[in-house]
Order: sequence, then structure tokens, then C-alpha cells
Amino acid sequence: MRQAGIYSGIRSGPHALPLARIKKIMKQSGDEVKMISGEAPIVFAKACELFIKELTQKSWNVTIQGKRRILHKDDVASTVVSTDVFDFLASLVSGDCSEQVSPVEKEVAILES
Amino acid sequence: MDNVVGGASGSSNEEGGIRDHDKLLPIANVGRIMKQILPPNAKISKEAKEIMQECVTEFISFVTSEASDKCRKERRKTVNGDDVCWALGALGFDDYAGPLRRYLHKFREIEGDRANQERARTNDHPEASRLTDDNP
Repeated sequence: MRQAGIYSGIRSGPHALPLARIKKIMKQSGDEVKMISGEAPIVFAKACELFIKELTQKSWNVTIQGKRRILHKDDVASTVVSTDVFDFLASLVSGDCSEQVSPVEKEVAILES
Repeated sequence: MDNVVGGASGSSNEEGGIRDHDKLLPIANVGRIMKQILPPNAKISKEAKEIMQECVTEFISFVTSEASDKCRKERRKTVNGDDVCWALGALGFDDYAGPLRRYLHKFREIEGDRANQERARTNDHPEASRLTDDNP
């Protein structure tokens, strides 16, 4: 989707996330979302970076507590359920059928117990 | 077992929990941002990146709904950057709202400068001026 001048004219540099995709997701969030200003996806690109960094950082703390070096899906799920502001994600992380522990991590868990 | 489509191809119509790639932010971008905040020796499992993709997408939908709701109540048709900032604050992401407002104002300044430059340029070249809205 090309909108000359809006996305191409931004001097703030390349964004870490694709604006067109962000806009698509915004439109899909509901029928009542009709028009989106050019700056809204730009604000979201930054907001998403902050969000990913915060959730990742907190999830990594869980990984570290488990004395592991691989950030796992369950670490993210753990963080979501224990952080108020991430409440809206609770069903997303639980519905996503959990127990995907890799054979290697299983081995490590057994050795450590 | 999840039926996870690992490739970069677009959406899929298969049943049973297929992840629609058109509706998610690209995993490479998400993974890169995750890496930025972690120590260099940290590793991230593929499922962790995938769940993060889904979480960010949900985040966008969640905040957009709130912003668009506000617009509807105020009888405005267009969701703008201020609405997004407001919605973030309203939903508990106060830490983001402040820095993002500053970011947005900076962006508007830059865009304002650029528009002024364009205007100055077309004044020097009157034949190009029909491209702007300013002319009667």
C-alpha cells in the first residue's frame, strides 16, 4: 500500500516495524475503525518497540531465575499473568497450549532436580 | 502439536490454529527488537518470538479499539497520533505515553519543516505550484 509523501517523507529514519502492516492490523481491530491518520502507525511503531522491549526484559528475568539462557514461551506467559498491564494478553498466552518444553530443556531440568 | 507456518509466505487457510502472517508483524523485526534488549549471549526460542508476534499484534488491536472508541464518542472519523497516546495512557501504559507524545511532536515538527520546504520550493518554480493546495 503506497501513500507517497506520508511514509516516504519521514525524516526520522527507517522504522523498526513496517508501517503498512501496522496500519492493516489497526484496521482489522474493529469495524468502527474507519480512517487512520498517517502519524498513527508511526506512533505505534515506536509504542510496539517499547512494548516488545518491556515484555522481553521482564520475561528474561524469569528465564534467569530458572537458571536458563534460552528465553522460552512459558517465560513470556509467566510474565503476562503476573503483570497487571498485560492482562489483556492472558487468554492469548494460555489458549496457546503451553507445554512445549524442548527435549534439551527437559534433560537440563532433570539434571538440575 | 501446533501447525505453525514458519515461512515468510502470506496467509493460509488451513484449519487448526494457523497463524495468519498478514495479520502479524514480521518475526524477523520482532526478533531483532527482542535481541536489542537482551545480553549478547541470550538465546530466544522460536516459540517465544512467535508468541511475542501475537502479543504485539494484540497490543495494537487493543489500543486501537480504545482510541477509535474515543473518536467515535467525540464524533471524529480519523484516529490520530494523539488518540493513540491517550489510549496508551488510559490502558495503563503511562510509561509509554510521555515519550511517545514527545516523539509525535518531534515528528510533526519535522513534517512541518518539510512541508514548508516544499512550499518554498514551489514558490521558486511556479509551474510546480499546481501540485499544492495553496493556490486559488
